[in-house]
This record gives sequence, structure tokens and C-alpha cells, in this order.
Amino acid sequence: MQSPGIHGESPAADQAAEGLENLMARYQKANHGAATALVERVSPQLHRYFMVQVVSRRYADDLLQETWLRIHQARHTYRPGEPVLPWIYAIARHVRVDSFRKTRRIEMREQQVDVLPDAPIKTAAEGAAGVDLEVLLGALPESQREVIVMLKISGMTLDQVARATSSSVGSVKQKAHRAYEKLREVLVNRGFGKMTAKQAE
Amino acid sequence: MTPADIDKLLLEAAGRSVSQEPDASAIGSAKAAIPQSLEPVRPLAPLRFFVSLFIVLFVGVAAGGAAVLGMYGFPALSWTERIVICCVLLVTAGIAAVATAREMSPAGGHRIAASAFVLAALILAIAFAALFHDYDASRFIAEGVPCLNAGLLFALPAALVIGLLLRRGLVLDWRAAGIAAGTLAGLSGIGVLEIHCPILKAPHVMFWHLAVVLVSGVAGFFIGWAAQKLRRS
Repeated sequence: MQSPGIHGESPAADQAAEGLENLMARYQKANHGAATALVERVSPQLHRYFMVQVVSRRYADDLLQETWLRIHQARHTYRPGEPVLPWIYAIARHVRVDSFRKTRRIEMREQQVDVLPDAPIKTAAEGAAGVDLEVLLGALPESQREVIVMLKISGMTLDQVARATSSSVGSVKQKAHRAYEKLREVLVNRGFGKMTAKQAE
Repeated sequence: MTPADIDKLLLEAAGRSVSQEPDASAIGSAKAAIPQSLEPVRPLAPLRFFVSLFIVLFVGVAAGGAAVLGMYGFPALSWTERIVICCVLLVTAGIAAVATAREMSPAGGHRIAASAFVLAALILAIAFAALFHDYDASRFIAEGVPCLNAGLLFALPAALVIGLLLRRGLVLDWRAAGIAAGTLAGLSGIGVLEIHCPILKAPHVMFWHLAVVLVSGVAGFFIGWAAQKLRRS
């Protein structure tokens, strides 16, 4: 059950074809090569997961490093044979929430010394170029946004998302369904419904 | 607008916003998190091992506590009452054990800590209501407080052992772990009372015995909440 984004299709390297579960099991047995391969294969996907939910690239890089630190410290809690991706994402999710809370605490103590310019408002006029991911995800509550990011951006399955979020598949489906309803509303309000209808004609 | 249209727009937007892959330095930093001299680690035991361990702990505390205080309650019960109470306690302890064990590992399974707490309290309340029909409320507080104290006294060591076992894993949500562990510890306390306490009045059993699980579960939640806050600060 690997995500399409990280699945090596080329048979060039044996390690690329090796399952993440095997790499993790070998990592637990102190195989440094397996640990490095795991970092190389999962990091792009994890980085994407952080990038769509945080403001800056540097912040996403920090979160990525922090996640691997935690994974290293808690590598004994992975049970061989179980899917490794939900286990990694559960830790990544925890790192992100922790970091978000810390940042918010710091920001609450900070005082703004200058007036910031208003962010440009993006409207339907920009429809031709497509709508921003920030606009789409910004319309969703945290729990629904997370499910959509894992399902659509990280390419995880419903079962993997359910495991990573410690919830049931039914609950994930429900959140995804509600998120789609909300996204449809946002897109129609921005003129996308009309556009696709015209395209269909 | 169909879900496929939304998917397409979502993926296009993601492609524009997150087209950049992590650069070599970010991957290098991630790799640096893993030291060159790795030590092998023993993976966490399977979920069923911890569930069994928690149930053994529950039975051990219940039997041990009753042995210390004296087994006056069990002989006072009829065979039906004994069987029903034992089954109900074992089932609820099993659910609480699964809920606790699931909190030990990331992605350990569907989180059921709060449901386990509510379910344990409900099942016990229904069982006690069905079994005991003496509604005499005399000496309600005088007889009840010692029972609550005794139940909590034995729930405490159970909670400490569960807490130590939880530390073997990686708990991501200490509030959920706290409520699950508190429920299991409280059930151990009720186990002691059911074997020890010879008072079979419905108000006594339904209020004071049940209070052990309620107090223990709620205390577990708040201890977990405080532990989580402490870790994050």
C-alpha cells in the first residue's frame, strides 16, 4: 500500500523497489543504508505535506528535520509488518501540531511595530490561471484540510489516512465528503462551476 | 461540478503551489537526524501482548486488593450476580485495555479512549441496576466514602504501572491515553470493591462503586492533559 508519489517504478535499483516496511525493519536493526534510503524516499512526500500547510519553505524544511529526529527516537514503536506510511504521518502530524502551537504562543507575545500591507485579494478574474491551493484549503476546517492533504496531495489511501489520524475509515470518508461539498461551494462562488459547465458544452 | 473536477483543480493548484521538491540540503539535514553509529532497537511488542498484560494487571490488582482488604463481598453475591459482574468487568476492562494499548504507538488504531470510558460507565450502571434491587439509602455517605477511598487506593498503583508501560511506547495524545489508563485503573478499583464490599444496596453500588471509574477516568484525562501541556512547553 504505497503512495503513487513515492513508488519507484524503475527496476534500476533494488533498494528503490524494496518496500518501505522492509526498509523500516532494517532501520530498526541498525542498517544505516536502509535508514538513508527511507529518508530519501519518504522525505519528498513529507515535505509536500508540510509545504501545503505552512507558510514558508524554510519552516517546512525544519519540520521535515524535526520529524526525522522524532522518528529516530521512536523507531522502536514501529511494529514490523504494519504499514509504515501511516506511522510516519502520525508522527509528522504531531510534529506539525506541536510546532504550530509553539509558533502561535510566540506570536501571541510578539508586538507588531509596523502596519503590514493588505494581502492581494484573489478573485474569479484569476480563474483562467486556476485557483490557489491556499484559497481552497483555507476554506476548510483543520480536520477536513488534513484529510484532503493526505488523500489528494500525499496520495495516501483511506485506510492509511484513518490509521495516521487514529480514526475510522468511515470518519475519514465523512470528512472528505464534507470537504468536497465545501470546496464545491468555494469553487462555484469563484465562477469555476460555470467554467466547467461551459467546457463540458 | 463533480468530485473529479474538484480533484483536477486541487491537483493543479497543488502542482503550482508545491512544485518544489525539498532541496539537497533539506534532505541532508533530515539524514543528519540519523546518527552514523546506529544501535539496533527491539520493536514494541504486538498490541495483543499489551492488551493481555493490562488484563492480567486488572485481574491481579482486583484479586490482590480484595485479598488484602478481605473477601466479604463475593460470598454475599448469588451465582448469577457473580457471573454477570465478572463478565461485565472483564469485558469493560478488555475494551479499556485495547484503548490504552492503542495509544502506545503512532497509528496504533482507531482512538477509542473516550468511548471506552463512557461504555464502561454505562455497562456497569446497567448491570448494577439490573442486579441490585435493595433501594435502602441509609448510611449512604458513611458507608460510601470508605468504599470510594478503597477503590481509588487500589486504582492508584494500577494507574502507575499502566503509566510506566505506556512510557515504553510513544504516546502522541496523552489526554486520550490518560482517560483510557484511568478507566482501566478505575475498573481494577471496582474489581477490588466487588470482591471485598458486602453492601448490596443499589444506591451504594451504583453511586460509590461506579464513582471509582468516573473519578479515575476524569483524573486520568486531566493528568494526561497536564502531561501534554508540560511536554509542549
